[in-house]
Amino acid sequence: MKSLTLEGLSKTYFDPYKGTQVTAVRDVSLSVAPGEFVSVVGPSGCGKTTILNMIAGFLPHTGGRILVDGTPVDGPGRDRGVVFQSFALFPWKTVLDNVGFGPKMRGVPRDERDRIAREYLALAGLSHAAERYPAELSGGMQQRVGVVRALANEPDVLLMDEPFASVDAQTRLMLQEELTRIWQERRTTVLFITHDVPEAVFLANRVVVLSQGRVLEEIDVPLPHPRKWDALVEDDTFKSLSARVLARVRSA
Amino acid sequence: MSATARDPAPSPTAWQRVQRAWVRATAAWPALRSILPFVPLVAAWWITSALEVFPKAFFPGPVEVAKSFVELVRKGILPEYLADSVGRLAVGAAVGIAIAIPLGVLIGTSRRAHAALWPVLLFFQAVGDIAWLPILLIWFGFGLTTMTFVIVYTVLFPVVLNTVLGIRSVPTDLVRAARSLGASPARVVWEVLLPGALPNVMTGLRNGLGYGWRALIAAEIIVGSSGIGFLMFDARRAGSVVEIMLGMVILGALWYVVDAWVLAPIERATGQRWGMVTRT
Repeated sequence: MKSLTLEGLSKTYFDPYKGTQVTAVRDVSLSVAPGEFVSVVGPSGCGKTTILNMIAGFLPHTGGRILVDGTPVDGPGRDRGVVFQSFALFPWKTVLDNVGFGPKMRGVPRDERDRIAREYLALAGLSHAAERYPAELSGGMQQRVGVVRALANEPDVLLMDEPFASVDAQTRLMLQEELTRIWQERRTTVLFITHDVPEAVFLANRVVVLSQGRVLEEIDVPLPHPRKWDALVEDDTFKSLSARVLARVRSA
Repeated sequence: MSATARDPAPSPTAWQRVQRAWVRATAAWPALRSILPFVPLVAAWWITSALEVFPKAFFPGPVEVAKSFVELVRKGILPEYLADSVGRLAVGAAVGIAIAIPLGVLIGTSRRAHAALWPVLLFFQAVGDIAWLPILLIWFGFGLTTMTFVIVYTVLFPVVLNTVLGIRSVPTDLVRAARSLGASPARVVWEVLLPGALPNVMTGLRNGLGYGWRALIAAEIIVGSSGIGFLMFDARRAGSVVEIMLGMVILGALWYVVDAWVLAPIERATGQRWGMVTRT
């Protein structure tokens, strides 16, 4: 468990069509404590995916610092695991080999990484799918594999970029409940990006509302884990928090 | 109540019986599916030659061609020539692929390599394989070097171009996923870009081998002292239309076999299995 800190993070780039510098992310400071689950919510174009891509090291940042456990990071690395909206599973690898990919990259021998992969697959109830190829699985199962693949590499921080946006509504509710369960068991530090307000509140300890590249407000979510939709739909705290976050997002 | 009780299923018509027999037969011998389309073609050929619409010496029938096949096999000429042609193609293709795939990876991954090499590549692709023969004959003479050069040259371009295309069509998220799981840029090439490009590489190989096979026959006609192309050109000198036709049949049949028994199964086991390309 490590902390994630953003200090005055900025991103400007040159727009060749407008002929001017454009600011996508403006002076964002944020700190995620070890083992904390933070959701970042905001309308599309607010810069939330750009922030995640900078933290993951996929895009260079043009100002400020990104620190994992107090150490500045630059470029992609296994300390920051990523779960993608597109799942990004390797189609030519079985589920087992997808999950064992991280361990393979750090030189873990075949038997040992298969054991690790099976252990993590069991965590998400995917043991039966180990020998199958991603294309043979439903979207919901593919994203379970995506989450498990990131976790099996034991990252310090887990970055999730709208991971449930492209699965159907029923499956999404199940995946959200599973994620709160797995998080409670593993206590990984999570930064979760979404545009879905109830999802952001349901999952997180804290919700960060982002607009036009800057932090508007941070709202704590003092609800116990693991969370269940059946219990929370009628819960007054959940409802008032969701309403508050939604109002803030809409005011943006 | 029950419609089936009142209207029993009609007994199958003769046509339905034929259809069912066909389904059963093709399930037992899948090769039937490839052979059947040629039956009307061969029949038309046979009838045309049997009616002697054209003189027999100009337009022999399938029976004569089959006889000449048996004779050339018995004499050992055909197996030897076939082995020569296929061997040349295999060597040329292996060298071509060994150059083409690394070159394709380089151009597909490096912006600089692309800027430097792409225009040159397009220029030489346009020159074409056979257009090299005059200068090759002066440089290397009538022989194996010239033929190998032509095949390598022919195989090279489709494989390079398709490898570049394949590498560039690998989704960015796959590369990002591998990097964030701890893969070095070099391992990304091996673990992500190459397998991701494989369906396109296979398309390139298929085209490259097809073009290479044709280029080889052309080269053998001009340069060869053995091989199927030489057999056909030599038959022309002797005025043997039968052997020319035999050569043509062998060219088509051999390519069909390579395509259906070697390339297609590889594609089924890779890209199609992984859901990266749709089945046809």
